[in-house]
Amino acid sequence: MKTGSTRSLAFSTSAAAALLVCACGTTNPPEELVQAQETYARVSKGIAQQYKPDEVHEAKEALDNAQQSFDKDGPSPETRDLAYAAGLKAQQAEAEAATIIAANQKETNEKKAQTQTIDSLKHDVAVEKSKREQAEKKAEQAAADLARIAAVKQESRGMVITLFTSGQSALLPGAMAKLNEVGDALVKSSPESKIVVEGHTDSQGRASDNQELSLARAQSVRDYLVSRGIAADRISAQGLGSTRPVATNKTPEGRADNRRVEIVVQPSPGGS
Amino acid sequence: MEKTNTLAAAIALAFGLAACGGYAVPTDRMIASEAAARSAREVGAANAPQAALHLKLAQEEIAQAKSLMNDGNNKRADYVLIRAKADAELALALAKQADAEAAAKKAADQLNAAGNQ
Repeated sequence: MKTGSTRSLAFSTSAAAALLVCACGTTNPPEELVQAQETYARVSKGIAQQYKPDEVHEAKEALDNAQQSFDKDGPSPETRDLAYAAGLKAQQAEAEAATIIAANQKETNEKKAQTQTIDSLKHDVAVEKSKREQAEKKAEQAAADLARIAAVKQESRGMVITLFTSGQSALLPGAMAKLNEVGDALVKSSPESKIVVEGHTDSQGRASDNQELSLARAQSVRDYLVSRGIAADRISAQGLGSTRPVATNKTPEGRADNRRVEIVVQPSPGGS
Repeated sequence: MEKTNTLAAAIALAFGLAACGGYAVPTDRMIASEAAARSAREVGAANAPQAALHLKLAQEEIAQAKSLMNDGNNKRADYVLIRAKADAELALALAKQADAEAAAKKAADQLNAAGNQ
């Protein structure tokens, strides 16, 4: 009986010990260690592995230390501290990788913006150049048109268009017909230039009459050009009588040349 | 009498060693933790919610470690400082991440705005 009791006691002790070992062997890891393992598993498969491999490795070492502490001491406060810190190290690696990615994105976007700005400037310059070329072409075309329909000279006071007149204030029929084209050309070219219409006569007759006649010639041309669309404040008329002959007044041909209207297109302030 | 004094001194020494537990004062880890928390504050961790949370935890853990050191519990203080340093360093990294992402967003917005003009 005594032997049986001893055996029974021994069995009970063994069972209790076995249960204790079993209980120790199944001790659950602390929450901090579980979380750290989960965090590390996520981080080691993400961007941190590519951009911050050394930091990921440090997090792994910290996690291993926490695991060893758990294996040795169980869920002690120190194990919890080590596990907590290991999880945070993994998060730190992830944050540092995200920082690098964001910095790269910033740089890429800034370079794109720079390229876009340069392209935009190039486009603006090209458009401006094209406009300028078109304006120059238009002006050249207008000048050519004027040269075709009237005598055109380039003088220091501007472009001078000469139309010949009869003995009266009226323009010669051919010149009158051309004046429409002159007006259209002036509207299209040099839209900001000031225009002065000068009337001239030959030397026959009294000077005061010639003065009046020349002004009447100039005025009629001015009025006609205004009616064709040239702004009235751009164009003025003046009579110069016979004071500025371009040919001799001793021959009929010379006097015909002197009976004229000159349209002076002054250079615009912008130079175009 | 002399024997009694010697015994008292020996007992006092033994208690002193026991109090320290043979564990060194974690001065270096305290300095490192405080430096990391200071860096996190300087880069604006207080302005980024996640960074601010970890900075606050670090500051609380540093205060807790100081209290433990005052009580002579250097070992617990050392481990609490491991937490504090990790929290402070994470706060720093998160604050930098927030800054970098804000700058990247700004650049992207500017690019989009320029593209829409």
